Amino acid sequence: MEINKFPMGEAVYQERLQNGLQVVLLPKPGFAQTFVTFTTHYGSVDRAFRTHGHKDYTVVPDGIAHFLEHKMFESEKGDVFPEFSRYGASANAFTTFDLTSYLFSCTDNLRENLNLLLDFVQDPYFTDANVEKEKGIIGQEIQMYNDNPDARVFYDLLKALYQEHPVRIEIAGTIDSIAKITKETLYECYETFYHPGNMVLFAVGGFEPETVLEWIRENQAKKSFSDVPVIDRPPITEPTAVKMAQTTAHLAVSQPKCLVAWKDAAGPMSGHDLLERELYLGVVLDALFGRSSPAYQEMMDEGLIDQGFSWEFERAETYGFAVIGGNTPQPEKLTDKIQSVIDEACQTGVLEAEFERCRKKAIGRFLTTLDSPGYVARGYVSYLLRGAQFLDTAAVLGELTLDEANRHLREYFAPERRAVSVVQA
Amino acid sequence: MGEFQVYHRGRLHVHLLQTTQFRTRHLSLKICRPLHRDSVTKSAMIPYLWMDGTSRLPSPLDIARYSDELFGALIRTNVGKRGPLQLAEVYASVPEESRAEEARGVFDDVVKLSLELATDPLRGPSGFSTEFVKREKSLHQKRIASQADDKIAYAMEKCTLHVCRGLPEGLPRLGFEEDIEALTPAELWAAHEQLLKESDVYLYIVGDIKEPDAMGEQLLEQLERQLPAASAASATSLGSAAVSKELVRAIPADGRGDEPEFITERQQVQQGKLNFGFRTGVSYDDEDYPALLVANGILGGFPHSKLFRNVREKESLAYYASSRLDGLSGIVAIQTGIEPGVAERAQQIILEQVDAMKQGDVSDEELHLTQGALANQYRQVMDQPVSRLEIHFSGTLAGIDRDVETLMKRMHEVSREDVVRASNRLRLDTVYFLSSQEGETHGN
Repeated sequence: MEINKFPMGEAVYQERLQNGLQVVLLPKPGFAQTFVTFTTHYGSVDRAFRTHGHKDYTVVPDGIAHFLEHKMFESEKGDVFPEFSRYGASANAFTTFDLTSYLFSCTDNLRENLNLLLDFVQDPYFTDANVEKEKGIIGQEIQMYNDNPDARVFYDLLKALYQEHPVRIEIAGTIDSIAKITKETLYECYETFYHPGNMVLFAVGGFEPETVLEWIRENQAKKSFSDVPVIDRPPITEPTAVKMAQTTAHLAVSQPKCLVAWKDAAGPMSGHDLLERELYLGVVLDALFGRSSPAYQEMMDEGLIDQGFSWEFERAETYGFAVIGGNTPQPEKLTDKIQSVIDEACQTGVLEAEFERCRKKAIGRFLTTLDSPGYVARGYVSYLLRGAQFLDTAAVLGELTLDEANRHLREYFAPERRAVSVVQA
Repeated sequence: MGEFQVYHRGRLHVHLLQTTQFRTRHLSLKICRPLHRDSVTKSAMIPYLWMDGTSRLPSPLDIARYSDELFGALIRTNVGKRGPLQLAEVYASVPEESRAEEARGVFDDVVKLSLELATDPLRGPSGFSTEFVKREKSLHQKRIASQADDKIAYAMEKCTLHVCRGLPEGLPRLGFEEDIEALTPAELWAAHEQLLKESDVYLYIVGDIKEPDAMGEQLLEQLERQLPAASAASATSLGSAAVSKELVRAIPADGRGDEPEFITERQQVQQGKLNFGFRTGVSYDDEDYPALLVANGILGGFPHSKLFRNVREKESLAYYASSRLDGLSGIVAIQTGIEPGVAERAQQIILEQVDAMKQGDVSDEELHLTQGALANQYRQVMDQPVSRLEIHFSGTLAGIDRDVETLMKRMHEVSREDVVRASNRLRLDTVYFLSSQEGETHGN
């Protein structure tokens, strides 16, 4: 077992088991709860793949990673959820563009709950009938998001930004695409992506790491797995330009929602570079559009935005985007304003005082998030699968330089990579 | 971890929780007054006006920049609602100084700023600054209107407000759009002064506090200094928690006739939202509260509950189907999102679950699973400083000094018979259905 100590005081215990499973434990002394996630590096963007021995890529229906997540909770004996309740745990799962995570939190019976989590995810049980039944439930989940203006404006934005990359497809798929899902395709995806070698078990909370690791080893030693498969995903060639510069949808909203975004054209990226890029763009966007920026206050004064206005930068291995926006009575005017703030900043650069203020704020905010086991688990695993170390965030923020920040600013916001998404009544 | 230490003088209350568990120190200031139709809108705007400037920091930008300098302190104001009370709130969090070198001494400034926002806002020639009042009026109008954008929350709010019709609890937290236009800076300033003069004030702090007693005293003095009318008012007031003790109680279960009201609203949506509101007459301080908590859990609190199993897993009608209990008003509210065409069938299945519980269809398994799941929820709260202070605050308002451990013990003693008895206190009051533009009429 390897132990990694971080300057803020956190210690991380990790080990790769013989079957390939990566185990990461982050003890938090004094915490009543333990939060555990069991995650596969498999999300909605993995729509085509092949393993060794196969000549052709298999292309599967959109939304299947998420569908699989739902179906894992059914075992031959029935629904798995009540089993967690029996041991006083609350369980859940979620699917993103690049991962699927099963989780529970408990304050007691950690060993029983751990075994339950490992066992149900490693024991698929799909039948024609239970697959059909799930289509009704997921159909309603899709409809729920279709009515949600924040989800709608965001998914439409990705559809406009990307021409080829599957990040432009909704995570849950569509009612038509999930209709094509069968138990056979579910088993095929399961066999490909749920091998322990493609998965991470992460625990954070009030536990004894050596003991917990021993429990996990014991559980895994009882099962046999094939060799770690090499998963080959077809390369995605995403053109530099956006698919559509502008997209508009209509929903029952009180005022329009408008997001202005630029896709990242930097090519595949992972590890420290990825984390650093995310933090640089974050500090730049906060300096330009955060609550302490002159632009934010001007737009508030003009009635162009409300408190829901925000920015976001996300970078994954094969895609990335900067998003700015919120509610506005005048989407066009807001778009122009955002563009002019960026144009002006590219001329003058971010000022040193603003850069320092935003950097320090980001460090403080990062430290406060470490109190939330759920947030830490999500952040840690998501970065781990992108080859980066979440707990390095404070240190990397400390090393950012103004010159590099301004270089990122001047390179990033190219006009052909910009798209605007609007939802209005 | 210990319990909250309570210090109070008249209507001023300081509640401190000493703990070394967290990397963050939290502050929550709650100023509460009774909800009234006449004052609800202006009171709702006041916490937002506080963020626009103080005597020392005269603009929103000054406040935002200053709090950034305090190691990125997060400072927000908000308007809240608890039972028949409206709350003007300031919340702040900042890295714990005993865990981060750069945070040394920052918390004192955070306390100072938080109190300053509420007690020393920027004053123009005729009350709040005319310019900021204009800006906030427009923002508040949008704040109210945008509540209709999230259909799940909107349907829930519509349903529970209707259950409380005719009572202060039935007033919306943010007030009414039609009131905003006529409000003047002077009127808003007067409402602000009245709020400071007459309300109960609660200041919560959770963190690694070195000497709680000294800090409690010092904060009480600080509150007295900054709320000058406090000592005078406290001489005539009814003592601690005067407002809440008088007003906070469950919505009566009876006295309105037994026929539920059905409301259908149509909007441009793909999914219908079907909500049910029940009155129970049981709140926090009622003997039956622990039993009702368990009953609500069995009905719809968890994935093993009747609603999830029957509406979602068995009938495949919905993605979510759940119920929740408001401990102050005693309202049980069920919510689900369904295909508009199946509303009648969903309603039938949902009400069958409630009836089953009333008739004693509660298994030992359901009881034990729910008690276990609720215990886990409450124990996890120990790791969530903000939830912990909110639960303590609700207890304080209900006039009940019961810690989480005691509630958990009472919950564990709940029997099947207790659950059935508590279930029989549910009176269906309102069925609210948000439907799509087309389709058949629902209800009666």
